[in-house]
Amino acid sequence: MQSKMKESDPILQVENLFASTDNLPILKGVSLTVYPGEIHAIMGRNGCGKSTLSKIIAGHPSYNITNGDLKFLGQNINSLEPEERAQSGIFLGFQYPIEIPGVSNLEFLRVSTNARRKFLNQEELDTFDFEELVKEKLELVKMDQAFLSRSVNQGFSGGEKKRNEILQMALLEPKIAILDETDSGLDIDALRIVASGIKKISNSRTGIILITHYQRLLDEIEPNFVHVMADGQIIKTGGSDLALELEKKGYEWTDNFVKET
Amino acid sequence: MEIIEKIKKYKLTVEQTEIQKICLHKLQSSPLPNPKSELWRLSNKSKFSNFLDFSLNEKDLEFDTPYPNTSQSIIRLVIGENCQTKLIEEDYSIQQLSEEELDKYIKEQISYFDQNENWSNLLNLSLSCKKNILGLKIKGSKIPPIEIFSHASSKSLSAKTLVIFLEKNCNLELLQVNLGKQKSSLSQSTFFFLEENSSLNHGVVSYGKNGSNLLNSLNVIQKSNSAYNLGSLHFKFNYARFEINIKQSEGNAKTNIKSMQITKNDEQISTYTKIDFNGPNGFLDQINKSLADDKSHAIFEGSIIVPKIAQKTDASQLSRNLLLSDLAQIDTKPQLEIIADDVKCKHGATISQLNEEELFYMRTRGITLAEASKLQLSSYFQEIISFIPVSKDRWDLLDKLLNEN
Repeated sequence: MQSKMKESDPILQVENLFASTDNLPILKGVSLTVYPGEIHAIMGRNGCGKSTLSKIIAGHPSYNITNGDLKFLGQNINSLEPEERAQSGIFLGFQYPIEIPGVSNLEFLRVSTNARRKFLNQEELDTFDFEELVKEKLELVKMDQAFLSRSVNQGFSGGEKKRNEILQMALLEPKIAILDETDSGLDIDALRIVASGIKKISNSRTGIILITHYQRLLDEIEPNFVHVMADGQIIKTGGSDLALELEKKGYEWTDNFVKET
Repeated sequence: MEIIEKIKKYKLTVEQTEIQKICLHKLQSSPLPNPKSELWRLSNKSKFSNFLDFSLNEKDLEFDTPYPNTSQSIIRLVIGENCQTKLIEEDYSIQQLSEEELDKYIKEQISYFDQNENWSNLLNLSLSCKKNILGLKIKGSKIPPIEIFSHASSKSLSAKTLVIFLEKNCNLELLQVNLGKQKSSLSQSTFFFLEENSSLNHGVVSYGKNGSNLLNSLNVIQKSNSAYNLGSLHFKFNYARFEINIKQSEGNAKTNIKSMQITKNDEQISTYTKIDFNGPNGFLDQINKSLADDKSHAIFEGSIIVPKIAQKTDASQLSRNLLLSDLAQIDTKPQLEIIADDVKCKHGATISQLNEEELFYMRTRGITLAEASKLQLSSYFQEIISFIPVSKDRWDLLDKLLNEN
């Protein structure tokens, strides 16, 4: 799925998306458009559908799109496999990065990077060239090389796992990154490292969706838009002020909003 | 009595040895394993019968699967081909056991045989001719790694026997490779005797072809302060059965086992282990992995026997299994029989499928489902493969498992 789009065209369009899992509706008409260079924040209570939205964009096989469209670089991706979406430039940073015992982090990163490079018609990297590249990217998230020889995320602390996610993002150079609660479980220093890594990777050609509960990540990375989700819908969109408002008011008003509508 | 008739028919042309006569006589009272016995209950009857369908071949045809090249530092022996083995160096010696020594040892073993538990050994020894019995006495230090091959020829039944005495203070790395050919049956019985303070790192790789069958019986006696480490792998057999009998005869010995069997199509591969602690302070760490795909069937039954004399035994047995298809079947039964009251023994079994969240995670990084499954499987296999000593890299086991099987 190669793009012939203009730089001003949207990267991601979520159009009136309804989705369910085990016949249980989770998303009930979500619409969202992300243009190059934009940072969007999605906030909301636990269980409002934020993480589900991120998994559906990434193509999780447990969820079914029952209505609506997902478009990436102008093309419908509803039926694309997760790996096809990832290769074409969609990145999901996991809230709880998965441990894969026995699979070396270095090999995992190399195979992933080469899958993306192959899609971009770039030369695949052998182990030596890849090590050079990964060393450079490790600097972004201040990770030690020792992490490369360990199994993927196994025995990593919460902060190390999140930094490993940002390292993957840096290597894959996605068009859009959806970062699901990347700030959870991080102390202040780790949060700054992760935020600084995200800022260095993002540019005027990429889009970012930050899913978060807290203002503290948005203090480090200022979003262009803040969306509030409740009961599987985006019920309000605003600027970065909206996040500050939520910090003060909490989410109770979102419950009332859902009841009223 | 059909099997007895068959064996007698096999033997018409060659004079039977005394051991063959003894074993045949014992088999006459139980010509086939008792299907009601726990050790044979799950064995696929028609596949087992297929094992005995081929005519006995005592003369191996040249094996057309080339063995991987060996390095000069590895001693390579092929059962049935190496009639004379005598290597005496400054630090070690590897000598063939004399006929008298072999006869004496095997007869002693046979006297302990139980018809059901040792049926495979009885069959092996009733079929195995002198040429196909390799007996070695190994002593000394700095012994080069040894590879020992057994193979079956196409459309025939072959029986190979290996007996090794490891003398005091001797350390050895040994890889045993059992190769099956298309439509063939191989009966392999192995007997190890580990003297005090000796240590054996033993690898068993049994690699079949379509329609090949294997009865593989491994019998180990460990004296005190000996260490026996086994890494084993069985795959690509229509029917294979791996029996492990280990006896720590005086206690104070260590045993580590990491074994794996992989079944596809309609194959059946089973592993039966019996670890007998016959003295105090014994140690066992055992893991058996099974992976079953398509309509295949994998079986593991492990028993740990801890009599009163075996106080302070520390034993652990774990069965981990991966079921890759709705029609595949895995039976697993790790069990403990403990009489001693001051022991630390544990066992457990898990059966699962490939982890879907791990797969999704890898797919979100652009790795295809097929590649992600291979990565997961390779990590599953690696734990066992890395425990198999000698030339495991040259055999490309991981590649064989992921790409050929």
